[in-house]
Amino acid sequence: MNTHIKKVAVLGSGVMGSRIACHFANIGCEVILLDIAPKELTADETKKGLSLESKAVRNRIVNQSLEAAVKSNPSPIYRKSFAQRIVTGNFDVDMAKIANCDWVIEVVIERLDIKKLVFDQVEKYRTPGTLITSNTSGIPIHMMLDGRSDDFKAHFCGTHFFNPPRYLQLLEIIPTPSTKPEVIDFLMDYGSRFLGKKTVLCKDTPAFIANRVGVYSIMALFHAVSEMGLTVEEVDKLTGPVLGRPKSATFRTCDVVGLDTLVHVANGLKANCPSDEEKALFELPDYISKMVENNWLGSKSGQGFYKKVKTADGKSEIHALDLKTLEYRASEKVKFATLEMTKPIDELKQRTKMLFMGMDKAGEFYRKLFGGLFAYVSNRLPEITDDLYKIDDALKAGFGWELGPFETWDILGLDQGLKLIAENNKTAAAWISDMKAAGITSFYKLEKGQKMYYDVQSKSYKTIPGTENLVLLDALRSENKVWGNSDTTLVNLGDGILNLEFHTKMNTIGGGVIEGINKAIDLAEKEYKGLVISNTGQNFSAGANVGMIFMMAIEQDYDELNFAVKAFQDTMMRIRYSNIPVIVAPHNMALGGGCEMSMHADKVVAHAELYMGLVEFGVGLIPGGGGSKEYAKRLSEELKDGDIKINRLRERFLTIGQAKVSTSAYEAFDLGYLRNGIDEVVVSRDHQLARAKSAAIELANKGYIAPKREKNITVMGQEGLGIVYVGANSMLSGNYMSDHDRVISEKLGFVLCGGDLSENTVVSEQYLLDLERKAFVELCAERKTLERLESLVKNGKILRN
Amino acid sequence: MGQRAYIVAGFRSAVGKAGKGGFRFYRPDDLAADVIKHLMASVPQLDKLRVDDVIVGNATPEAEQGLNVGRMISLMGMNTDKVPGMTVNRYCSSGLETIAIATAKIESGMAECIIAGGVESMSVMAMGGWRIVPNPKVGKENPNWYWGMGLTAEAVAQQYKVTREEQDAFAVHSHNKALAAIQSGRFKDDIVPVEVERIFLDANEKRQVEKYIVDTDEGPRASSIEALGNLKPVFANGGSVTAGNSSQTSDGAAFVLVMSERMVKELNLEPIARLASYSVVGVEPRIMGIGPVDAIPKAIKAAGLSQNDINLFELNEAFASQSLAVIRETGINPELVNVNGGALALGHPLGCTGAKLSVQIMNELKKRQQKYGIVTMCVGTGQGAAGVIEMI
Repeated sequence: MNTHIKKVAVLGSGVMGSRIACHFANIGCEVILLDIAPKELTADETKKGLSLESKAVRNRIVNQSLEAAVKSNPSPIYRKSFAQRIVTGNFDVDMAKIANCDWVIEVVIERLDIKKLVFDQVEKYRTPGTLITSNTSGIPIHMMLDGRSDDFKAHFCGTHFFNPPRYLQLLEIIPTPSTKPEVIDFLMDYGSRFLGKKTVLCKDTPAFIANRVGVYSIMALFHAVSEMGLTVEEVDKLTGPVLGRPKSATFRTCDVVGLDTLVHVANGLKANCPSDEEKALFELPDYISKMVENNWLGSKSGQGFYKKVKTADGKSEIHALDLKTLEYRASEKVKFATLEMTKPIDELKQRTKMLFMGMDKAGEFYRKLFGGLFAYVSNRLPEITDDLYKIDDALKAGFGWELGPFETWDILGLDQGLKLIAENNKTAAAWISDMKAAGITSFYKLEKGQKMYYDVQSKSYKTIPGTENLVLLDALRSENKVWGNSDTTLVNLGDGILNLEFHTKMNTIGGGVIEGINKAIDLAEKEYKGLVISNTGQNFSAGANVGMIFMMAIEQDYDELNFAVKAFQDTMMRIRYSNIPVIVAPHNMALGGGCEMSMHADKVVAHAELYMGLVEFGVGLIPGGGGSKEYAKRLSEELKDGDIKINRLRERFLTIGQAKVSTSAYEAFDLGYLRNGIDEVVVSRDHQLARAKSAAIELANKGYIAPKREKNITVMGQEGLGIVYVGANSMLSGNYMSDHDRVISEKLGFVLCGGDLSENTVVSEQYLLDLERKAFVELCAERKTLERLESLVKNGKILRN
Repeated sequence: MGQRAYIVAGFRSAVGKAGKGGFRFYRPDDLAADVIKHLMASVPQLDKLRVDDVIVGNATPEAEQGLNVGRMISLMGMNTDKVPGMTVNRYCSSGLETIAIATAKIESGMAECIIAGGVESMSVMAMGGWRIVPNPKVGKENPNWYWGMGLTAEAVAQQYKVTREEQDAFAVHSHNKALAAIQSGRFKDDIVPVEVERIFLDANEKRQVEKYIVDTDEGPRASSIEALGNLKPVFANGGSVTAGNSSQTSDGAAFVLVMSERMVKELNLEPIARLASYSVVGVEPRIMGIGPVDAIPKAIKAAGLSQNDINLFELNEAFASQSLAVIRETGINPELVNVNGGALALGHPLGCTGAKLSVQIMNELKKRQQKYGIVTMCVGTGQGAAGVIEMI
């Protein structure tokens, strides 16, 4: 089988097909996206004199789908120009083109008869030995084999991407008995390394793993809600971030996904899982049936569990459905003693324990919900999978849960979980008792940097397949900790490489993190080869600790402030000029200081999902941790003799001035945060740290010498200042910015130009840092900057003043 | 000394839409040379070696328009190295300024025969030029001296209370007049058809050459107040100036032949008109659009006329807001202004505009058998210009 995937064909351009096409384009594949040709001309086409044979008409459906996908928000594409990697066509004319494709991906409508018709066509043109997969969320994969050739069957496998495929981590792989083992291995590995998904190998059982357990969990909740008399808002509060689940929690997620979709899966499970001990839960409660009848399906039909209502004064307000009366009413604030109690606990595992101990309705809710869930997942082995970690992986990656059911169970302890099961009159699977009898009390254990799971068949712990080569901070942290303070932990990754992680709130950067970085570099310079800065938080870093800056600014402690900013700058400079290679491996948000830290790395190994930006302008500041300096320096470096410097200056200025944040790592290159030829992108979050570690080793092994401190930066000086002043005044006069924006703009421009020096003066990096710091501290003395800082610190809101 | 200077011939190219029109592949020096060749061919009696100078107006003399493009155009258009050339920049009045210089030189006896006009390709040029480097001191103390023109149009709209609706209505009227003029062939006598070559690769990456003629102004379109009303302001948040009520960016060239009375007689030519006066004024740069308000009376006075003597006005429509403010402040009869539409519809190829409007007004006055016309415009950085054309 050809495993070098250069060109793929995606058959079907619906919501999933078009977005899967985009994701393959994201990773660099050429994509042929095909769909049916329309059967009728539109009025416009008739007017233009086109016929059903015209290419524009034949490709209308596929072109419209792709266009809608590329325009959709959040974007399915890393960089708009990547869409050019997708060529569109139609089944009537272009099916023969699949002969040259390395992988044919069928994503047509979820109807077996139609899928079969498409496969008949595929059989005609597909080159033997070529991978062929079908993406489905519900159709049993083995039913698609009917009438297929042996070669087709051997190379055929089911897949289940979750929508939106770029963002949702889960990719279920569902082979049939005829699927060649190498096809399965390939898909598991390619899906993980190339597509960046968490691949979970599934049995061909109804709804596979994630939806089986996930929909069970939602249906159980639907029933529990009416039994316990909880409101929509209460449930969403209880099943949201407090539990390590997405903000949209349960009901809001249902509204986004569409109740009809959910009901469709539930009905399927009811029909196809007659021996499921919880099949009664797949019956819809009355209020759900009524909602479906009323077409209250969620966002797609304008109302679901929530409804956006315009009030008399024209403001929009979110109303919630009263599940008893089925009437919408104003949202109510949710209060539970248990939630109040756990508020100060940031660490999810500790908090989870507390949640279960609550003596109020909330505690009762959790005990009930999880008593059922623990029993249910234990009984799904070996029905839907032989391996318990797959259930955790599927729910975490597919539903955005931070903890899988077995992981949650481990936190509570085996006995406590069994107690909850008993209290809810449920029964755990027999293998749990066997496990307990053998004296094993946890489903997972960490050993030698690897996460091991309890394997039910062999009754022993095994490494999770596919993770052998990953570097897992979670598994290394306890055994390999080298040093730590309250904000950071320094872990030995082995092979001479250290990793510094921070674990502050939102991973903001304050004194503790600065201390940690310096300590890490000290140690690495003495005893190690290199350092990686990465972490396992939701986001790499939300930036500098604004609260701290605000405190010093409000107390007018400018010397102290100056000192703190200097320490920050010096630390960033150490990242660049230390004697060991420093790799920064950011993921998701890397704002402000998190961006500046990346900009000073020897190399950035970025996760493709990188939302990076210098956003200080929003709080009335300019980047003060070397970001402004770095922009001035890069501006100088990128200019060649004869270039129109002013235009480059404007681009750099606007990137900071408009606080532009990348929507992917590739955009971070376009915005000038990442450097072409130096920094790199890793699509797989799981593999990111392993790659960062090898990058550090590579740099060290090829003979790392710290770069020389830069003293020859040619700045624009007065050549650029004029446009800074005129531009700021024009924006102010055109009502595009406030007077305070003008003040900040002029300071930023001043730093980017290197001050009011004569044209083309040569300066050092330190001169620029001093200029940047002076501007930063001066802005901290401005009343309107204080107001902006205060707004962010106290209300989490960006104030425009 | 003391002899009169006459305009004996004048032509313009059609005005193309910048960036997407027929001239987007055509260099300004080529375009200007084409018009000059046509102009010379229209006066066969004239030995080209007797042309003393070619004076070319241009508002952005850099890149394709740099390197003293006026001299380049004299070489390219005259097919001899004996006729010199120069470039003149007074922004949007450049094309009128060159006619004034030619007239003044001839009337003072410094020259007998000059080709004067202007050219601008906004397709090849960024607005304001490629490298804008304001003086930081001025930028700090008087930033509005460097304001973009759109912002000045907003300032005029505010100061002279010109509403969005008035501006949009004015723009629609301009388009309608221009469409009618094109339909009735009103510009036929002005325009030199120009052949343009586009070289491209076809679907098989084979080199192809496409040739086409540009002979019609591309800007005018059927427009409506509703359609224009939907456009967003582009220069100020909450402002009233939109792409629809601003002049279009354009490509074009126009030239006239100015000759001494002596040579006119010698060659037995029929003079068409003369530039009876030309005046420029300075105003606040912040409201540069108001420039014609002072320039018009100054030019009329210099010509020894009164406002009532003027039969037609070509008031360059840089923006609807400033055009309306000028009409109101000067009290000129709107019916006499831009009878065939203005720059909102027909386009505004900056350095060419003064010459283009002169060619247009001469032909229109001739058709109407009227005597006096004024060509006037606001000029960037706070200036106004006006010239009185007297038909012979």
